[in-house]
Parts: sequence; C-alpha cells; structure tokens
Amino acid sequence: MPARPSALPSTVSGSHSSQLLARIDGRVSPYLFIAPFFVLFAVFGLFPLLYTAWVSLHDWQLIDGDQGFVGLANYAALFADPDFYNALFNTASIFLVSTVPQLLAALGIAALLNRPLRAGTAWRAGILLPNVVSVVAVALVFGQLFGRDFGVVNWILGMLGVEPVDWEAQRWSSHLAIAVMVMWRWTGYNALLYLAAMRNVSRELYEAAALDGASRWRSFWSITVPGIRPTIIFTVVVSTIGGLQLFAEPQLFDSSGTAGVGGNDRQFQTLTMYLYEKGFGLFDAGYAAAIAWVLFIVCLLSALANFALVRRIRGGG
Amino acid sequence: MTMRRSSWSALGLSAILLVALAGCGGAGGSDSGKIEIKVATFGEFGYEPLFAEYEAQHPNIDLVPQVSDFEAHHKGLATHLAGGSGVADVVAIEEQYMPQFLQSKDKFVNLADFGAKELQGQWSPWKWEQGASKDGSFVLGLGTDMGGLALCYRRDMFGKAGLPTDRDEVAKLWPTWEEFARVADRFSAAVPDAKFADSAGSIYTAILNQSEENFFSKADDSFIADRNPNLRRAFDIAGSIGAKGQTAKVTTYTQAWNVAVKQGSFAVMNCPAWMLEQVKDAGGNANTGKWDVTTVPGNSGNQGGSYLAVPKQSSHQKEAYDVAKWLTAPEQQKKIFLQSGILPSTPAAYQAPEVVSKTDPYFDNAPVGKIYASAADSLRPNYRGPKDSLVRPKFGLALGRVEDGKQTLDEAWAEAVQQAREAVK
Repeated sequence: MPARPSALPSTVSGSHSSQLLARIDGRVSPYLFIAPFFVLFAVFGLFPLLYTAWVSLHDWQLIDGDQGFVGLANYAALFADPDFYNALFNTASIFLVSTVPQLLAALGIAALLNRPLRAGTAWRAGILLPNVVSVVAVALVFGQLFGRDFGVVNWILGMLGVEPVDWEAQRWSSHLAIAVMVMWRWTGYNALLYLAAMRNVSRELYEAAALDGASRWRSFWSITVPGIRPTIIFTVVVSTIGGLQLFAEPQLFDSSGTAGVGGNDRQFQTLTMYLYEKGFGLFDAGYAAAIAWVLFIVCLLSALANFALVRRIRGGG
Repeated sequence: MTMRRSSWSALGLSAILLVALAGCGGAGGSDSGKIEIKVATFGEFGYEPLFAEYEAQHPNIDLVPQVSDFEAHHKGLATHLAGGSGVADVVAIEEQYMPQFLQSKDKFVNLADFGAKELQGQWSPWKWEQGASKDGSFVLGLGTDMGGLALCYRRDMFGKAGLPTDRDEVAKLWPTWEEFARVADRFSAAVPDAKFADSAGSIYTAILNQSEENFFSKADDSFIADRNPNLRRAFDIAGSIGAKGQTAKVTTYTQAWNVAVKQGSFAVMNCPAWMLEQVKDAGGNANTGKWDVTTVPGNSGNQGGSYLAVPKQSSHQKEAYDVAKWLTAPEQQKKIFLQSGILPSTPAAYQAPEVVSKTDPYFDNAPVGKIYASAADSLRPNYRGPKDSLVRPKFGLALGRVEDGKQTLDEAWAEAVQQAREAVK
C-alpha cells in the first residue's frame, strides 16, 4: 500500500501548509464562488460592449471585417442622418405609448388582485400567461388582428361604423398597434411584481388609515404606491431599457417581413431595427456598432432620468 | 475538516464550470464515418428527392439540408462568414445578393480551382457571368434556376370584368406595359371591389427586369438611376397603377400576400417561374384551376435565380464542389423542373422536350414548359452592380408611399433619387 501523501497532520510542515491552504481558501473562495457571474458578465456583457465600441471606430464590413480606422466618422455620419432621428423619435414614441399606460394598468390590476378573491391564485397565474407566449407568436397574431383587409380590429371598427384603418401605413396607428402588443405581453408581468411588493406593505398602515376615515383611493395613493416604490423604480428602469430596445414586435409587424424597414416611410422603424438594417441588410457593421453605442447611452440616460423622476414618489420605507 | 473539504470541492466545481464555459466554442465532429455535407438553401429548391439519389450513388456522403427563408438565409450566411464558423458546405446565393458576396469572394472557394470552367458551356452566358468576378478568373457560384418572366392571372375575375379569359387572348391584350395599364383601368371600372395587381412594386420589378441597366451603368458602375429612362418609365407605369388604388398593396412572400391569394383579392401578378409553387402553396386546393399563366408585356425578362457556392470555411471543399456540380448539372435541373417547376438555367435542360411539353393542372393546364422556355430564350439579363442593394429598396419604398396615398408619383420619385444619391455617396 503506497504511503498517503501530505495530508497527514503529524508533521510541523504539514500542519503549516494546511493552515496556509486554509487561509488562502478563506480569502480566495468567496471570490471564486461569485466568479461565474463576473466571468459570464465579462464574456457576454463587457467584452461585446468594448468590442462594439472598437468596431464603431472603424470602417467595418460585416463579412470582410476591418477596412481601416476612421475615428468618429461613423458617429458624425449618424448624427447627420435623418433616418437615425426618425428611428429615435419612433422608439421614444412607441416607448411612451406602451410603457406609461402599461405600468398604470399593472398597478391597477395588482391592486385588484391584492384584495381577497375567489380562486385568487388562478387569476394571479393567469395574468402572467401573455408573457409566456413567444414574442414572435404575439407579433404574428397581432399582425393579423391589425390586418388592413381581413383583420379583426378593423372588422369590429366596421361594426361600430368606423372606416377601416390601414394600421401599418400611418405613423400614429402603427405606433398604437405595436404598443398594444407590448402592453399585452408585459402588463401582467409587471402586475405580478407589484402584487408581490404590495403583499409586504404593512396591514397596520391600512387599518390606521381606515380608522382616520381615508378612502380606498386615498390609501392606495398614500400607502400602497409609496410602499412599493423600489419595485416601481425597478419596473420603470427595466421597461425603459426594454422599450428602447424594441425590435421583434415592430419588425414582424412590417408586412414586408424581415426585409422591411418599418413601413414605406420608416414610420415605425425603431433604433434596433435601423441597426439591423445597416448591420445585417447592408453589411455595414461599423455604422451599426455606432448605432448600438448611441442606443446604449440613450438607454443609460433614460434609465437614470426615469430613476430620478420616480424617486420623487414620496415616503416609503 | 468537512467544511473545508466541501469548500475545496466547490472551488473545484467552479473551476470545472469555467473550463466547461471556455470549452463551449470547441468544434464537434461527426464520427459516423461518412462525410457530412451541409447544403443551405432558402424557400423551395426541389432538392429533397435528389439528395437521396446522390447519397445512393455516393455511400460515403451524407447530405444534410438546411432550409430557411430568403432573408434569414442570406443574412445568416453573411453573419457566419463574418464570424468565421457555422456556415454550411454548399450555400445558395440569390442573384440579387451576388454582387455583395462577390465583393467578399476571398471567403469563398474559387470553383475554377476545381475545374468549374470546363462546365461553363452548360449555362446561358449571362448566368455564368453573374456568378463570376468581372474578369472571369474567380468562379463564385454555379447557376441553379432562373426566373424567366410570365404573368399569372385569375380566369374567373377576368371573366367577371368582361375581359378575355383565354391565355393567348390575354397575352394579346398587353403587348406593352402601357397597354397593361389600360387593361388595369378596364378591369377596375368593371369590377370596382377587386384589385387588379398585387402591388406596384411587383409590376415595377417586372418592367425593370426587362431593361439591361437599372440603377448603375454596366460600363463603369456609375450611378444612373436619375437619368435612366427605363427606370423612370417602370416607376411611372407601376406607380400610376398604384396611385389609382388598383393594387392590393401586398408584398410577395408575406402573410398578407398569402391571404390575398387565397381570398382572391387581386387578379394579376408578376410570375417568375419559381412563383408558381408559391401561388400553389398560398392558394391551396380550393383555388385549383382559377389561375392561369400567360406571357408578360414587352417580351421577356429575368427575375431571380440562384447559385451554389462553397465557402472557404468548409472542411470538405472538394466533396462540396462535387455536390454543387451534380445538383446544377442539366440532368438534375431538368428533374427539378419536372417535379417542382423551377426553371433551369442551362439551355440543355430547359430546351429538353419533356420540359417544353410540361403543363400544370393547377394553372388550368397552362403550358408552363413552353411559356418559360421561350421566356428563357428571349430574355435579356440585367446588370446590377455592387451597390445595387443600397439603392434598390429606396425606390420600392417610394412606390409604397404612392400606394399609401402619402406622396404623388413625382414627390416619391424625387425623394427616392435623393436618398439613392446619398446612399452611394
């Protein structure tokens, strides 16, 4: 039988080295435990971000790669590009039309679900269902519903005596239709987040308010909303980022399919769709990278602005 | 002690995780002993039965089809070429993407190195030239099908409109596109609730495909969209049909187009050979015999058609070339036409008696073989130029704005020309 290696604690050097190992273990292990996240973040988050910045400073063709350093030329071209401002406007517009009503509706739904209900769990699970459906399916189904010639929405409007709307052709109608898709998908999800937060608001506050004769409406705005402030901030920031990166819904809403650029007048082309057109339609990766970086900055600034805005909700914990 | 051991093992575990993560990009090979050749195409190439035949003849080859849709296929190909991995061994490239990929020809195998030039005589000369570099030294792709032009029309709707329904009579209605526009007026006056054509864009494309030059000069690739009378003529004819509301405003391939075909929303469409299968798919059995095929105004033209190429990334380039060579040989092109109606690009195939005599029951037994073979013989191919994909969409969108009633024909034209100029600057 071969001798067992160093693990014997009897010798002085052995115990010394095991103490050293223990110390290293104590120092290093915690970092290693959290390392997977940071490694993943570095590989899938930080590296692409920096690499994109590098690409955006070059004349970079998608297939042939680097064609030479051009400095900020891509950005200069981008800031002089009317199609970019058009896409920026569309993105902001669709974001506003979808996010504001969506979060308000989520708040209302959560408040309703927070009351004693028959089959409460079923209701609560039910509102999450739209979120489980694939975004592609959602876009295809809603694309049909909002169809010009055979769409259900126009059919219903027709019964009410309203002229059929060519949803895709106009700026306002296309934005509205896309916003409806976004709302349908995400309202339930946000409502569940609010509901979870509302469960943690202290009952005593409501009882005290009731004793003071506060109305339900009053206690909702004065107790519930401030009580779930951190969750509201979270949903606003996440919705902002999601809204600014909107891609699948408008792209699939375009009846020209993936070749489409968001309508004949680019009336619903979002920033990510423009990025896709430049990068993967015209193979101009440098320009697309510049759009990506501008989009990143826009996301950052809007998230910060929204954060500051929502923080002004008074009170809370 | 136990605590320590478990933390060490956790440490080991995270190390393994990291290694596993790092190893994710590693290549995996198939060990079946057969050489696997992936063939990536889009839409319908009619290759399924041929693959079985090829595998029977070559027991060491395993052919794996990868079919996606048109846009996804070409965008995916570009991304894979850029990324340096993931591309199939044989890839289809449609003619409109050819100039773009020819600019990156170093990512592809020069098929001339495998002796492709000996095959040159198989194809119509223009088809061969489109798949090779300008000086002819680099052969990027071998021609598969082509898109000889014809028009499909609804017999029943023509009857309702008081127009002739016989395909030869219909052909006589529109010797020129100007006459075609007059037929549109007659049709719309007689059947106001139906649309005449699918979209202005599709008429425009057909007219454009009959002109040798489109947006760029064949001689020196200079921008000529603003002074090419053929382009303006195509834009005006198609645009005024659209402006009068005589189109259903549906783009080919899209869901809306499928529904419109099924519901019989329009009566005429531009019908390159490969379109017949699309019409059958969209129309379904219920529409059998309702459509018919006739000749296109202004003689013939070409719209679409593809090539098979071998990317340099392929680790079995020779075998991939053999597959591409076999699939594009006249014998196979003939079989594809007889099975799926996809028009051969090799005269030996489309002039074969069994091809010329083919009729299609779905289209009221139209002599599709004769129509498309004669279209193929008289067609003049058009020159695209490397920047074609930058400017072509601008004019399509402009026609869409005319159809939507947002702009007049002249406004749309002016904006398209201006955008196109900016794009090629």
